[in-house]
Amino acid sequence: MRSLFSPEYEERVAVGDVTFALEPGELVGYIGPNGAGKSTTIKMLTGILVPTSGQVRVAGLVPWKSRKENARNIGVVFGQRSQLYWDLPLIDSFELLRAIYAIPPDRYRRNLNEFVDILEMSDFLRTPVRQLSLGQRMRGDFAAALLHGPKVVYLDEPTIGLDVVAKEAIREFIARINAERGATIVLTTHDLADVERLCRRIVLIDRGTLIYDGDVDRIKSEYGRFRTLVVRFSEPVVQPELEGAQLSGLEDSSARFRFDRNLVRADRLVRQASERYSVEDVSLEEPDLESIIRRIYIEGYERRPEEGAS
Amino acid sequence: MEAALAPYVAFATKAFAREATYRIEVLTEIGSLVLRVYILRSLWTALYAQNVAPVGLPLHSMITYATVAMLMSLILEVDATRLIREKLREGTIATDLMKPISVPFYFFSDGLGQTALHALLVVPSLLCALLLVRIDVPSPATFAVFLLAFVVGYGVNFFLNFLMNCIAFWTLETFAAQLIVRWASDLLSGQIIPLLFFPGIVGRLVFTLPFAAIYSTPLLIYVGVIPPARWAISIAVQMLWLVLFAALASVVWRAASNRVVIQGG
Repeated sequence: MRSLFSPEYEERVAVGDVTFALEPGELVGYIGPNGAGKSTTIKMLTGILVPTSGQVRVAGLVPWKSRKENARNIGVVFGQRSQLYWDLPLIDSFELLRAIYAIPPDRYRRNLNEFVDILEMSDFLRTPVRQLSLGQRMRGDFAAALLHGPKVVYLDEPTIGLDVVAKEAIREFIARINAERGATIVLTTHDLADVERLCRRIVLIDRGTLIYDGDVDRIKSEYGRFRTLVVRFSEPVVQPELEGAQLSGLEDSSARFRFDRNLVRADRLVRQASERYSVEDVSLEEPDLESIIRRIYIEGYERRPEEGAS
Repeated sequence: MEAALAPYVAFATKAFAREATYRIEVLTEIGSLVLRVYILRSLWTALYAQNVAPVGLPLHSMITYATVAMLMSLILEVDATRLIREKLREGTIATDLMKPISVPFYFFSDGLGQTALHALLVVPSLLCALLLVRIDVPSPATFAVFLLAFVVGYGVNFFLNFLMNCIAFWTLETFAAQLIVRWASDLLSGQIIPLLFFPGIVGRLVFTLPFAAIYSTPLLIYVGVIPPARWAISIAVQMLWLVLFAALASVVWRAASNRVVIQGG
């Protein structure tokens, strides 16, 4: 009740300390947990939110000072909201965009034909958008965002809610747009498989602060030193032990050992295990980006994981 | 110039097409109008039999007034800029702001497209209404001035709705505010009861309010209560409200776009 009469406003810094620069044609993953400030950054980059301090430049323009000029350079896809006309056939939205961006007729036709072809849209081009499946609608939204040939493309969770086949189609399309048209792409996603498939570089933010900016490979090797050896015994073992590795899980007759690959070699551990116990099967787990990022979200990123790692 | 207008022409065309997809709704509108004309005819005939008529407005003028008001409402009751609050609530206004367009002009042209569709209903509605009532036919000059006053009143109504919908920038929800203004407007614009019926000082006050510019002025011109000698001043007053509301709309829009908060984004 109190909040009805005297609403309390809390001032929060949504994006505080984030600095990065992109080269033309780069495809970068912009990653962070919910509420980290990703969408806020995108809003500032598109010119619809004015930052209280700091600088933003997109292709030489300050977005919020020249919103319309900036708009000609950019294309935006939101996985969670569509920019298509709900009640009208898909093609109507494309025609509207042709008028908005004043795309010359021949270029419009060329781009449209190409997108209809790659995204396999010919079957539903004349279907009202509200009758499309999510996968079809997403393809329509991609075409809509790229018809005018933007230099910079922002993709905000473009694969959310899609099935594996549709996801892969969208990923392939993103890679193709980046490679063939040289568009600079900022990809925001929670599906790190998108990033692993598409990006060489990631920018990681949390609570409005930049915490990592660099190669996906580097973050993988820094955090990927720790691996897990899974050993399945032919009979239950009470307290299995291996020198140089830590027991990190035990379930029925299968045990998980975590080890630092710089300190001990996997084949030694395997030999050790088979000497001590009756082993039925072993397997080695490489950390994927998802588990690395999950750990960073929870524990925070440290420049030298050797010291902080447990 | 032509290229600069092209997007807005496209917005209007698409809005027209979009509204046209709801055919049943459009047809019900005509049916409901005919029903209301019938009710009003019965109501006013009964009231006039009780001798409540104000000076200078005989029954046939009253029925003409009520019927023309109904036909006007086909166009004036379209909340052409409701898209603003819908888009604010859904957060899709962000994608419009990311386009190289003037967003208020986008809303205006979209509204015009919707209006155009509803304007098409006027003639069939009139024909249906004529089965029930007889209305006075004014002189061509009177009719022309009526149309002019109607267009200006349309503008006033448009900006009033625009301002109401812009409240959503601050509250996201505009239902209560719109309901209050709607009631005030229904009563004070002369849509249902001619403002001549208001007594004494209130009677004089209601003519000075902006609501009068929407229905009352054009309708009183139509039925001849406003004589040719006062046409110019009446339309000038309407114009004044139009300019004032347009200026206010521009100030409010500037303030609103400075505080774009996209929900759930």
